[in-house]
Amino acid sequence: MKISGSFVEKVLTSFIREELSKSNYKKAILGLSGGLDSSVCAFLATKALGSKNVIALIMPYQKTFQQDVKDAQSVAKLLKIRSEIIDITPMVDAYFSKYPTENKIIKGNKMTRERMSILYDYSAREKALVLGTSNKTELLLGYGTIYGDTACALNPLGDLYKTQIRQLGQHLGVPEKILKKTPSAGFWPGQTDEGELGLSYKEADRILFMLVDQMVLKKEIIGSGFKKETVEKIISLIKKSEFKRKMPPIPKISARTIGHDFLYPYDWDK
Amino acid sequence: MKLGLAQISPCLADVKRNFEIHLENIEKSRLKKVDLLVFPELSLTGYSLKDLVEEVALNPRNNPYFKKFKALSREISFILGFVEEKETGLFYNSAAFFSGGKILHIHRKIFLPTSGMFEEGKFFAHGKNLKTFDTPFSKMGMMICREFLHYGASYLLLAGGAEMIVVLSAAPGRGVSKEQSFETSRMWELMGEAISRFSSAFLVYCNRVGFEDGVVFAGGSFIYNPWGQCVARASYCDKDYLLHEIDMNEIRQARKRWPYKRDDKPEVILEALKRIVRDYED
Repeated sequence: MKISGSFVEKVLTSFIREELSKSNYKKAILGLSGGLDSSVCAFLATKALGSKNVIALIMPYQKTFQQDVKDAQSVAKLLKIRSEIIDITPMVDAYFSKYPTENKIIKGNKMTRERMSILYDYSAREKALVLGTSNKTELLLGYGTIYGDTACALNPLGDLYKTQIRQLGQHLGVPEKILKKTPSAGFWPGQTDEGELGLSYKEADRILFMLVDQMVLKKEIIGSGFKKETVEKIISLIKKSEFKRKMPPIPKISARTIGHDFLYPYDWDK
Repeated sequence: MKLGLAQISPCLADVKRNFEIHLENIEKSRLKKVDLLVFPELSLTGYSLKDLVEEVALNPRNNPYFKKFKALSREISFILGFVEEKETGLFYNSAAFFSGGKILHIHRKIFLPTSGMFEEGKFFAHGKNLKTFDTPFSKMGMMICREFLHYGASYLLLAGGAEMIVVLSAAPGRGVSKEQSFETSRMWELMGEAISRFSSAFLVYCNRVGFEDGVVFAGGSFIYNPWGQCVARASYCDKDYLLHEIDMNEIRQARKRWPYKRDDKPEVILEALKRIVRDYED
């Protein structure tokens, strides 16, 4: 699972440049959380497009993640990209004051979708395409909010596992502090990806790499020394989240149907 | 003999724009006194066409772009890839060899990859023949992308007397490692080395670059000499233009030293194949 940072950088920066140019955009925008994935994405976008063409939105909720805001600001400063802090507390609280809940996941999803809504609004105002920051591990495990953080115009990091993103981050010069940060969706203080998933990224990535990239059978993965429960849990998470990776199904009743046999490339007319 | 390889990034389904890209490369090559210029697979249309296949298909007999290509080929030979409507409603992934004001040969892709990320079999009819043809330079054979990975296809060209094999490709890059290229690039080079060496023939492989629907085409076009040595390679993943002069006399030298071609027994292989196929169980 070791990658050449320079080669992956070359491919992904070319991808960002080419996708924007095909859509006649010069600028990209992304949500910067102060975590690893969005920092790596900001580094790539800046290398691809130049600092003048990248906008970072830092969108905290309340005062719970002050340190992350500072980290995000430091990345923006380091890259010399424009950044704006948009406090999502008034919008989110306006809704929950009317429809209260104690469910932390429901609350977190709402915050994530609020950020998506702001990113797309800024996308139109600034004529900047929204860059996604989801990695392959979380896309496969479904560790993301549908129409929230998974919504974007292009997703440069979507084929790299979390551990590979860390390698790429090292190569790109992402600050050590961010490279070493415990990954968190930031739904509530103390939440960690690994704690919530009940898996370490190191172990999850090795199992996912075998399952997905190498198409190794479940029994062979277990036979190679991984715990049966862990492998089964990962498979179950993948299955349960397939809906997050697909467009919703349309019942086919006509001769030619969107999503079934109306088959055009994504890059149609670009 | 001077070879030019145009490692371009065609615009998806924009034949007019791609025609212009071809004209630019043909003119550039003409000025450099290139004898044979090679473009990648589906160079005139782009690769991930899906239901756009019909829109970009053309008939070589009456197409105005092809009329222009034929005229240009009086001064320089070139090979390009296009979607051919050979019979009404049947579309082929084809490669045409232009030389001396006409088309010397059209090859229609036989092995259409249809698995995993590939779906050519859903949109194209498959070709039915793989043959060599005479050119002003030597007897040659053409293959399109995946065909080159079916080693039986290369054997047919060897048995048919090919002294130069040209492969037009739109091969995506797959698999990253510590290397400065995709893992699949090595796969093509390995085949290039093996086929050139054991056919004692020149092997010219022209791949494309650019992205289509997130798929990255890996570039890395190359030329192997009849000794199995890589004599020129274009950059991985970036647009490039490879210019290289080869000495056709090397074929004779290699075949004297390593008489694989002389000692080949196609008639024995043919009879053995017939028996093998006949004995296949239902």
